[in-house]
Amino acid sequence: MKESVVRGLGLVASLGYAAAVAWLYASQPQTVAQVTGGFAAIVGAYKVDPQAFADGLRFFRRDQFVEARAAFARADSAERDPRTEFYIAYTYYRQGWGRLYSDDALFGKGLAAVDKAIALAPGGRFVVDDPDLQMHSADELRAELQRGMTREASDFNPLRVLRTRK
Amino acid sequence: MSAIREAIVLPLLFLTVTLLAGVQLTTGVALVPPSLFSLVLGTMLIAALVRSGALAPARLLRGSRSILANANGATVLATLFAASAQVLAMLTPRSGLPLFFLDVFLFVLLLNTLVTQPDRVRLLRSLAVTLGSALLLKFVVLASVSSPSMSRMSRVMVALFDAATFGTIAQEPQSAGAGYLAFFAVGLFLIGVGSLPAAQPVSHDSDLARHDPR
Repeated sequence: MKESVVRGLGLVASLGYAAAVAWLYASQPQTVAQVTGGFAAIVGAYKVDPQAFADGLRFFRRDQFVEARAAFARADSAERDPRTEFYIAYTYYRQGWGRLYSDDALFGKGLAAVDKAIALAPGGRFVVDDPDLQMHSADELRAELQRGMTREASDFNPLRVLRTRK
Repeated sequence: MSAIREAIVLPLLFLTVTLLAGVQLTTGVALVPPSLFSLVLGTMLIAALVRSGALAPARLLRGSRSILANANGATVLATLFAASAQVLAMLTPRSGLPLFFLDVFLFVLLLNTLVTQPDRVRLLRSLAVTLGSALLLKFVVLASVSSPSMSRMSRVMVALFDAATFGTIAQEPQSAGAGYLAFFAVGLFLIGVGSLPAAQPVSHDSDLARHDPR
């Protein structure tokens, strides 16, 4: 093989490998699925499993939140899809919502998931067109989760029992 | 040095070392970038390699080479720097007195190596001994002190020792695979450093012959 070809191939391979190493350091994947999904997303080949997503949505609408999260996690194993992450955050919101108080642990997990959805969405803006939801944007959901975790005087307002879950 | 070694083997080997040495196996998997001090140590290590003749930068980067060849040479140097810093960061304990003392020890050792200017073979031997000792210290000695799977008596002894040293010795427990990964990374790094283009030995015979009065 010609020397210049070897040198050119070597340079391309080295730069590609260096970029992959830099991406791994920046994104800190925890599973092999996250690694492969991340690389697939870079080249635009990442796809959410539609069957698992539909299962997750069905469970979500029946208020089976643990089952819904399992299905959503299966659908988006690499955690690269903002829509799935949004729905995961919504499951935490609905499961953690209470008429008298909210579950801070679940709301905290929801906040982490919605932050991931915002980070993955182009320009940080994510809106979902789902008539079953009362909050359609990641920003609304994030604000609601944050409100649920904040202690304030209005928490002691007895009229709070009349509020409804979104 | 062959084009394959310079353009493909060395950069890929050093990048693999950079990746492996950054992996931290504790409760999960994390990739930890090198600390600022490791970057300083990495720079000193490269300077020591150059001064000893184990690395001849002029054989990788010079005006008479083509742009492509110089790009390959620059890639070798950049990846060598990243791997050096990451290997030194990997071998340094994470906290407490061991972190402080090993950092100081490596700094003084590399400074001493820079000043004494050993030849290539001696430097490579010294580097193997230094990295091997640091590996044993962190992944055998300190790991056994910090291991959660000890007998009750050992745990009591370690707890007493830890209390006497104000908790500055024990480290965060590591996965069993961490030591093997570190050993593999150090081995690859030493192979890579040994394969770097060395300075050409100066022929004194010709000079002597020129000045020979006979």
